[in-house]
Amino acid sequence: MDIMEDFKQKFIEEADELISNLEASLLILEKKPHEKEHIEKVFRIMHTLKGNGGMFGFNKISEFTHNLESIYDFVRSGEMEINKELLDITLLSVDHLKMLLKNGDNLGSDLQKTHSNFTSKIENIINRKLMGGNDYSIEKQIGYGDNSAGLFSGNAANRKTFYIKFQPNEYIFNNGTNPLFLIDEINTLGTSAAVAHLENIPAAETFDCTKCYTWWEIFVATHEKISTLDDVFIFVEDDSKIKISEIAPSDLFLNHDFKKYIENLQKSGNQFNIEFLKKLPGIGDKIKPVAEETPEQPEMTAQLPVVGKVKAEAVISSIRVSSGKVDLLMNLVSEMVTLQARLNLYTESHHDPELLSIAESVQKLSRQLRDNAFSISLIPIGSILTRFQRLVRDLSGDLGKKINFIIKGEETELDKTIIENLSDPLMHILRNSLDHGIETPEVRLKNGKTEEGNIYLKAFYSGSNVHIEVKDDGAGFDPEKILQKARLKGLVSEQAILDKSQIFDLVFTPGFSTADAVSDISGRGVGMDVVNRKISEIRGEVVLDSEKGKGTTVTIILPLTLSIIDGMQVNIGRAAYIIPLYAVHKIYSVSHLVIQNAFDNIIALEGEQLPFFSLREQFGVDGDPPEREEIVVVKYENRKVGLVIDKVLGEYQTVLKPLGKHYKSQEFISGGTILGDGTVALVLDTNKIISKFSNNTQIMEESR
Amino acid sequence: MSDSQSKVINSYLTFKLGEVMFASHVENVIKILEMQHITVVPRTPPFMKGVINLRGNVLPVIDARIKFGIPPTEYTKKTCILVLSIQIDDEHVEVGAIVDAVKDVLEYDFDKILPSPGLGSKYKSGFIEGVMKVNDNFIMILNMNTVFSTEEIIDLQEQTEKTVEKLKKEKSKKKVI
Repeated sequence: MDIMEDFKQKFIEEADELISNLEASLLILEKKPHEKEHIEKVFRIMHTLKGNGGMFGFNKISEFTHNLESIYDFVRSGEMEINKELLDITLLSVDHLKMLLKNGDNLGSDLQKTHSNFTSKIENIINRKLMGGNDYSIEKQIGYGDNSAGLFSGNAANRKTFYIKFQPNEYIFNNGTNPLFLIDEINTLGTSAAVAHLENIPAAETFDCTKCYTWWEIFVATHEKISTLDDVFIFVEDDSKIKISEIAPSDLFLNHDFKKYIENLQKSGNQFNIEFLKKLPGIGDKIKPVAEETPEQPEMTAQLPVVGKVKAEAVISSIRVSSGKVDLLMNLVSEMVTLQARLNLYTESHHDPELLSIAESVQKLSRQLRDNAFSISLIPIGSILTRFQRLVRDLSGDLGKKINFIIKGEETELDKTIIENLSDPLMHILRNSLDHGIETPEVRLKNGKTEEGNIYLKAFYSGSNVHIEVKDDGAGFDPEKILQKARLKGLVSEQAILDKSQIFDLVFTPGFSTADAVSDISGRGVGMDVVNRKISEIRGEVVLDSEKGKGTTVTIILPLTLSIIDGMQVNIGRAAYIIPLYAVHKIYSVSHLVIQNAFDNIIALEGEQLPFFSLREQFGVDGDPPEREEIVVVKYENRKVGLVIDKVLGEYQTVLKPLGKHYKSQEFISGGTILGDGTVALVLDTNKIISKFSNNTQIMEESR
Repeated sequence: MSDSQSKVINSYLTFKLGEVMFASHVENVIKILEMQHITVVPRTPPFMKGVINLRGNVLPVIDARIKFGIPPTEYTKKTCILVLSIQIDDEHVEVGAIVDAVKDVLEYDFDKILPSPGLGSKYKSGFIEGVMKVNDNFIMILNMNTVFSTEEIIDLQEQTEKTVEKLKKEKSKKKVI
């Protein structure tokens, strides 16, 4: 029973992925309704889902997808056009499939209702297709089913005769395929005859009933193209040997000798020999030179194992691992990095050349291990973007707006914990753009814009950060109105003069976005403080830029990873701190007197004015500063700010550990790390430090 | 099963803060550490002493004296860090508490625990779970979950004195009768 549960769980995971793939493919299909490749993909996914669902006892899913599959089978064969109505219902069905997956076969009464509702809707489409499409499809159906009618109606002239060699993989039964059904399917395409070859079937004692030993030669006369025949084998082509070739441009089944020859083959089980066919009176001249390929056939089969090998490699090129295992790996690597720091410390105090070389090798190795373990836990951001495409599609329909949603850089990779926490804020931002940013088509035309609004979502790397940019060409913010509103709410004093970016920062202030504000300031700012908070929780940052009438850009800046960073160890008093290396720009050594005498916390270094903060002062560290202090210049937004510390000790691989709930209000420390001697060093969040301290000094200045 | 088990365990760890004895149910106490170097976290309330390394993780440490409004003293050889597991908003959180000395682990019948006497609405009696009487001494059983999840300083000394006074009064009354 447990094994079954295990399989079920695997199925659910896999089905989940299949369903989201399906959703993605459908959305592509909406834009490019005629691309065969995507139709095939949709069809294939549905088919897999149907098969697997049935196998693991998700009968509702299986039945439901079966109906969907039927519809897309019509689409595939070109008998039905993809239109909005069809896609709408398919997408809704996809949602329903998700529900079915979650609930298994035990549906609640509500779900049961929607289920039957959907089923009847889909069946309606199928029925309408079968009845309404009469005039042209039935005719075709005659061509399909009634062979003799085709034969005598003169269609025979258009028919070609094909030879199919079908050698299924031994394990073909394992995925639930019955090769006989495939042969039956060929039979529906025209006149056909199959020769079964049984010579590979072993003696009873070695016979394994789960394996397929039989192979077939099939002759078919049809007016379908060779690709149609290919399609029959679409689900088995990967692991079976299939060779389809045209042997004559006419219907050989009309020839008595040919029929006899085939009958002979069927009786004797001999292999088909094209040379013999050529000698037959009346048809020999019709046989296509394709026949000459026959000698090549052994060569082809000889190649096939190679193909198989390549396939096998392709299969193991990626594996599924539970996220728990990845987390464990990351934890172990973190511990190892910490341990390695201890080894380094020990090595430094013991002057042993051999120990030193070992320690160096261990350091190198652990660094590689760390980087590798990291890349494992990174997943592309594209994995969460499908649902946004869906959101934009559905919402724009509801709002009566026309919107192009363009995604770039979906392959950009981020730590999975970050990705998990990203989806809500992104959803907020997109909703805002859709709801309040992009104007209705009429308004847009009036303002001299294109009828269709554009929303771009762009993800890209920038240093050790990832930027995610959501840009729209909608109405934009009016800074003046934001400022007015903020003054009204008492968030800013009447006298304060703010530049544009400071004004936009107000949007993120809690309490700024209220229902009232929604109608006043072009309706934007709903929940932006929530967005900001969520993003800061994963040590990210949100920046907003907008131009009235032209559009808005919201940029989310995120760290690549949360757990291990390259840092620089510094001392302040007796305490050690870590400054993330990516933030460090330069380091200067400056006499304490210069710092003490600097006016307004600004110092001139290399001809540049550099504002600075003394961390010793800000942190309230006891004792006297050393004679020479060091200034670490860090990048803050587009400015450079100096942080005065006692001494820089060196580079340190930092495993970031949370400080815990008790320190949650501690903003400018992003966490702690264990040093080689077992003590804890605090990791500084330079951005927070600067924004916090500079705000403090501003307030101080204002109060003067 | 777990229910009956937790009822069976009625051991309490007693510790000293200043001259007053307190107790914590042992289920809250993970381990007891010697006093060690504590990394100070700047710009935090005074009772938040800082963080230490506990098996590779960062553990926040609270000075129980300051937290309970008892004037701080120098740390001695007897000063310990109790590593506690407490519950904050349905989440298990580990926190260290600095106490002056750890005394004993006592078995004490759950039924014999005196309810914490009402101290008027001025004090939150939620911090004190009950009172044990051992050799004529009263020992406050603290509710670690509430004590170490608030961010305020608790004036426990005052609470304790009042509690003890009240209990003594009740006792003497009984004797008179």
